[in-house]
Amino acid sequence: MDERHRRFEALALPHLDAAYNLALWLTHSRPDADDIVQEAMIRALRSFDGFRGDNVKPWLLAIVRNCHLTAAKRRQSRRQVPLEGGAEEPPAQMASPEANPEEASIRAGEQRRLDAVLRVLPEDYREVLILREMEDMAYRDIAQVTGVPIGTVMSRLARARAALRDKWIAETERGVHGLR
Amino acid sequence: MACDETLRVQAYLDGEVDAASIPAIERHLETCPTCQAVAETIQSTRMGLRNDASYYHPDAAYRRRLFEKLEREGLARGRPEGRAKREFGRRSFWTGAATGGLAASLAALLAFFFLIPGPSDSLPNEILNAHLRSMMANHLVDVVSSDHHTVKPWFSSHGDVSPPVADFTREGYRLVGGRADFIAGRRASAVVFRHGAHIINVFVWTDMGENLPAMRGRNGYHLVFWKSGNLDFCAISDTALDELIGLETLLKAMTIPDSRE
Repeated sequence: MDERHRRFEALALPHLDAAYNLALWLTHSRPDADDIVQEAMIRALRSFDGFRGDNVKPWLLAIVRNCHLTAAKRRQSRRQVPLEGGAEEPPAQMASPEANPEEASIRAGEQRRLDAVLRVLPEDYREVLILREMEDMAYRDIAQVTGVPIGTVMSRLARARAALRDKWIAETERGVHGLR
Repeated sequence: MACDETLRVQAYLDGEVDAASIPAIERHLETCPTCQAVAETIQSTRMGLRNDASYYHPDAAYRRRLFEKLEREGLARGRPEGRAKREFGRRSFWTGAATGGLAASLAALLAFFFLIPGPSDSLPNEILNAHLRSMMANHLVDVVSSDHHTVKPWFSSHGDVSPPVADFTREGYRLVGGRADFIAGRRASAVVFRHGAHIINVFVWTDMGENLPAMRGRNGYHLVFWKSGNLDFCAISDTALDELIGLETLLKAMTIPDSRE
């Protein structure tokens, strides 16, 4: 037990922030991210003896992602009438300052705007962007987290980047109109 | 306009291509407007995601609760082994860990200031500053070349120190070039390598008989010191420690035959 804890503390815990950031970007909600990360960390600790290899981060983030998918399915089936867009709940009204001019002036910063754009991207685009750009992960590791071949990671990243740019440009233009 | 090379250009900007293919991709990028637009998209979205998008951290109360849960999880499994004494020890760890990054960085900072013996006190600082300086203001290299036959003679004519220079592209360390620098008031040579997306500076100066600090990390950078022949070496980068040690091994291996000759 002690040896396992020591290894877990040294190898897995340093990635808690990465796990949390990914969970929050997948769920858009602190309470959901709290639950998912807790479940993922406990699950990771339990199965840590079985972990072989030297790269804990993709292994841990894959567990976070699986916990998210399971929880999203659970939430969806609990709901009598699923929200439009299924498991994902992009707060689209927040993404468009035009819909709420008062919010717009408050959320005028670049960060708010980019967050809003990232939030409404499809989930498979959003996760590769976060893993690549925020976590600086290699294609191989992103493939491990997302469970797809490296070729798919590459093409998905290319589409995700183009989509982010297009929506960002559109959002910036709309934001300018919204403020007028 | 579609171009067959866009995924390779993307891989290049993601640090995912081997050094041998880099020149061809760079040449293509100079002439292909489609790929230039792709590169522009990658760079602007990267800047945005790294500088303007939110990165979410768990708060301190959450960390504390989580560590308590993990502690209980550990205890529940450990109980059959009957290690009552350990329980207290573990509690202090998990609870202590709850303060997370702050405590860790404070500890690292304290260790940094107190553990380095006497005369080398400022050396890691100097090297970190020189490394950061080299990354700014386009002063990474004075001589740009992936060919050690170009870099090595350049050092002979521009520095007091003529370090071992080789390209380890096949091992994952591409030679970028060389630079003359100053470390702690003395002349030093810097050999620059690229490893994936990371730049590694290897500073080399004449051994004056001082003790070198142990390897250490600071602010996300790792420093590895070693002596070889009559030279002192320090490799620094934000890459993983193991990867710096890999380069150290390669450089040591090539300096030993030299000194035997």
